[in-house]
Amino acid sequence: MSLARRAGLLGPALAVAATLAGCAKDAPQDTLEPEGRFANDLDNLINPIFAVAGVVFVVVLGGALFIALRFRSRNDEHFDDLPAQIHGNNVLEIGWTVVPAIILLAIGVFSVIAIFELNEEPPDDAVNVQVIGQQWWWEYRYDLNGDGTFDEIVTANDLVIPVGEEIDLEITARDVIHSWWAPKLNGKRDAVPNRTHPWKIQADEPGEYVGQCTEYCGLSHAEMRVKVVALERGEFDTWVEEQQTDAETFATDDTSEEAEGYRAFTGLLCNSCHLVEGVNDDQFSDEDLREFQRDVAGGPGTITDDELQASGHAPNLTHLMSRSTFAGAKFDLRRNTPYCRDLGVDWADEVDDVERCLDLGALEAWLRNPPAEKAMQAEPIPGRSPRRGMPNLELTEEQIDQLVAWLITLK
Amino acid sequence: MTTTTTGPLALPSGTDTGRPNPLGAFARPTAATGWRSWVSTVDHKRIGIMYGASALIFFVIGGIEALLIRLQLAQPDGVLLSADAYNQVYTMHGTTMVFLVVMPIGAAFMNYLIPLQIGARDVAFPRLNALSFWIFLGGGILLNSSWLLGGGADGGWFNYAPNNGVIYSPSRGIDFWNMGLIIAGIASLAGAINLIVTCLNMRAPGMKLFRMPVFTWMGLVTQFLLLFAIPVLTAAQFLLLFDRLFGARFFDVDAGADPLLWEHLFWIFGHPEVYIMVLPAFGVISEIIPVFSRKPLFGYPFMVFSGIAIGFMGWGVWAHHMFASGVGPLSVAAFSISTMFIAVPTGVKIFNWLATMWGGRLKFEAPLLYSVGLVTMFTIGGLSGVTHAVAASDTQQTDTYYIVAHFHYVLFGGALFGFVGGWYFWWPKVFGYKLGDKVGKVNFWILLVGFNLTFGPMHILGLQGMPRRTYTYRDGYGFNLWNFVSTIGAFTIATSFLIFFANILTSRRKAKASNLAMAADPWDARSLEWTIQSPTPAHNFDTSPTVHRLDDFWHRKYQENAEGKVVRIARSEDLVQPGDPTGVHLPSPSYWPLVIAVGLPFVGWGLIFNLWLCLVGGLLIVAGIYGWILEPADAPAAESGHHPDTGPGQPASDQAEAADGDRHDRDEGTESEEAALVD
Repeated sequence: MSLARRAGLLGPALAVAATLAGCAKDAPQDTLEPEGRFANDLDNLINPIFAVAGVVFVVVLGGALFIALRFRSRNDEHFDDLPAQIHGNNVLEIGWTVVPAIILLAIGVFSVIAIFELNEEPPDDAVNVQVIGQQWWWEYRYDLNGDGTFDEIVTANDLVIPVGEEIDLEITARDVIHSWWAPKLNGKRDAVPNRTHPWKIQADEPGEYVGQCTEYCGLSHAEMRVKVVALERGEFDTWVEEQQTDAETFATDDTSEEAEGYRAFTGLLCNSCHLVEGVNDDQFSDEDLREFQRDVAGGPGTITDDELQASGHAPNLTHLMSRSTFAGAKFDLRRNTPYCRDLGVDWADEVDDVERCLDLGALEAWLRNPPAEKAMQAEPIPGRSPRRGMPNLELTEEQIDQLVAWLITLK
Repeated sequence: MTTTTTGPLALPSGTDTGRPNPLGAFARPTAATGWRSWVSTVDHKRIGIMYGASALIFFVIGGIEALLIRLQLAQPDGVLLSADAYNQVYTMHGTTMVFLVVMPIGAAFMNYLIPLQIGARDVAFPRLNALSFWIFLGGGILLNSSWLLGGGADGGWFNYAPNNGVIYSPSRGIDFWNMGLIIAGIASLAGAINLIVTCLNMRAPGMKLFRMPVFTWMGLVTQFLLLFAIPVLTAAQFLLLFDRLFGARFFDVDAGADPLLWEHLFWIFGHPEVYIMVLPAFGVISEIIPVFSRKPLFGYPFMVFSGIAIGFMGWGVWAHHMFASGVGPLSVAAFSISTMFIAVPTGVKIFNWLATMWGGRLKFEAPLLYSVGLVTMFTIGGLSGVTHAVAASDTQQTDTYYIVAHFHYVLFGGALFGFVGGWYFWWPKVFGYKLGDKVGKVNFWILLVGFNLTFGPMHILGLQGMPRRTYTYRDGYGFNLWNFVSTIGAFTIATSFLIFFANILTSRRKAKASNLAMAADPWDARSLEWTIQSPTPAHNFDTSPTVHRLDDFWHRKYQENAEGKVVRIARSEDLVQPGDPTGVHLPSPSYWPLVIAVGLPFVGWGLIFNLWLCLVGGLLIVAGIYGWILEPADAPAAESGHHPDTGPGQPASDQAEAADGDRHDRDEGTESEEAALVD
């Protein structure tokens, strides 16, 4: 019976496949195709180690295959004729203890060097962004004036950065542990409530880089996505300027659809969770949003308002139309076509472009019934769990049209 | 000669108080056959069989959960399972496979074999052994009852805080997880104490520690790991229990909690846990490979010491599960280095197994196929493990399918392959017939192909950026092909296990039809369990064997002749014990372990649903404890003719001698047996 070790053949097959896979065009989260300086460092670190592992794989599995074939008993008689009853060999034992230890030590040295190098702080003038994870979306807050508070820009879903520069991230969370990961730019870092973890990324080329939350965080962990948008410095500066303007308000006698949408927003529950600067700042305190005290099986504190979010936050919508995604980057706000992608962060400036590139169906479906679009606990469970997600507000189609018209003004 | 009444670990028998037993209900059960004999058994062999059977049932449950996962992930944007359903299924799959399959299979082997391999008649505390099994079963049933009572646990098998709290996991599933595992942990702890005392105290005359088979050594290390690791998990689970049920705030971030506390507690348990799962399988193949290579295990002392080293070093690597968790570069560097070095003793084992086979006469029957499967598949898993140890680049790998590939290669390709080989190897000893070898080989190859098809591609998926614990993935990310292949592989694995179960049924039927007796030593093996009849007699050894060297049995069969060639000097049939139970007194059966064990899940259900159930459970437990204490030391008419066991060093009163806890017959080796021993 042939004893060709399938596993022995699997190795080279896997290696070929991995190589081919690495060349796949549609692999936007491929760690083996880095597009940022730190991801590159990690790739350079691991490739030689994969090679060493490959050699050991061939030696051990090849050895096993060789032994299996070479020392097979030919027949029962051969089986009964005992081979030399060797009990051991101290030299070999020491050899195959020390040699692997040395190889591992060498790898360990490189590993430790890389750990400390990658832990070095970015330059003081690096763009400083606080990354906050909550169920099930990412908030990004910028500290532009270096005062330690991340309040100049508050945005969500799309992390906009200047290309070619180190970005100083401070990663935290508001509810459970999440993990922020844009594979082509760097490894991942956990977002833990009550803790802040420094991390850094750098994009080599302008473009968009996607990633996902990579620490299980409940229902929509699989749909808590990351998008990094790297812009040329000039474009980034323009974006920064535009992000710091307030949204327009509408007079009470304005009967346009946008004004109706504005009134729908401010009159419904939306107003209590989503901040639109210039519109409903008074809903939210200076120290950011309200504190919540949660009822834990009779323990201290009570849910003060059943209507509100467990994390106390929903995405800031002030400049919604400068983003390409929404709903925790699960859905495209801006259609993912070459033309629309080329428009970049200013895609919603022209009416024609909005018509062409806004994914109206996705946005309307979301407003119509958010829990049907993304798994969330959109209703509180009294006494146990506050609301975690956007509820179904049972909007009429008219209200949806009005809200969309108004949202489009949030450039 | 070691006895139980002298020496530092002496356990002298007490004198019987002579009080007659007034209550009929407390009499020891006497059934020797039928279901009653199984629920009251304290025989380590039956307990081992029950552990194995339960593990196989849970394996089917966990396997169905795996197939559901693979069906959901076969295509992008899968619709078979909702996010909530998927999260429950993957959590229960992991929890079931770790705690209710791999660990109990190890327990099955260790319970059955350790007393045999050290020449004992049972473990140190037989009723406690039964208690361990029934408690484990109760915990497993409690955990899986969640499916019928509101949904499975949905926080992942690792169940991180704060997600494991009521706010973020408001369903009862995690309460079932918590309670079920706390209860199962009691079983593991009791078993650990039992087997450690057994190994240290109940070895046959001449069975020095360094003459114990490697399987028993790995079992001993595993028990020590359990002894220290389970309490850490239990502590974390109690903190969680109080948070979820009684309003404590150990993991409440609003009260200032650091969620990393759970991570540390869990992984300080979790890393030794993986060695708990794999070391028994290492032990299994360390028995199989020498037998099918016709050579001794290469480097016995190094195999023992590397196992002990793994046991110690396993405590110093836990934060390699936390490289991305924000513990800081100094911790990360320290754990990266320690993780590198734990590969050394494991590598030593791989080389020693290969060196055992080198120069041998290899017979590739099913047990050896599976053993070589472990060596090769575990190596692959170990190599990916070394790549994880490089902490910086692990931030790309952790929480992706690359990790899923790694641990399935070491746990499935490692532990489970070894255990299946162990089933094929010891089946004739346990049940008195062999599993069909041709079918076993087919079984192996289909499993090997299916296993590699399922988990090999996951390396690629992970490196391409597919995170784990995700209920679906999108088109356009390069994940489609390998997920599909992996699903095909999963169903191939399922097929191979259907073949395995079919093999059991057909082999059994064939054996019953043929009426041929199974030899005591069908494989021409090396350790003491092969010196007694197959299936193992209830009393194990007619007389306590006296051991003169490692692999004593082998050396009584084979010796070097005048020309220096190793030749057979005796037939196994002439050396094995005939299976005569005369004069043997066995520990008597008891219902009370079952009674206590039934109470525990009721306490669990009560804490979740209604405290009155806790009262029911508590009463059962207290009643069970009372019954246990008050029941007579042994059954009125003990099996093989109650007979004063006299011999040198015996206490005069046979009542005292019959007290529960006395395992040895104090017979010395008979004259003829002495003569047969060639030094």
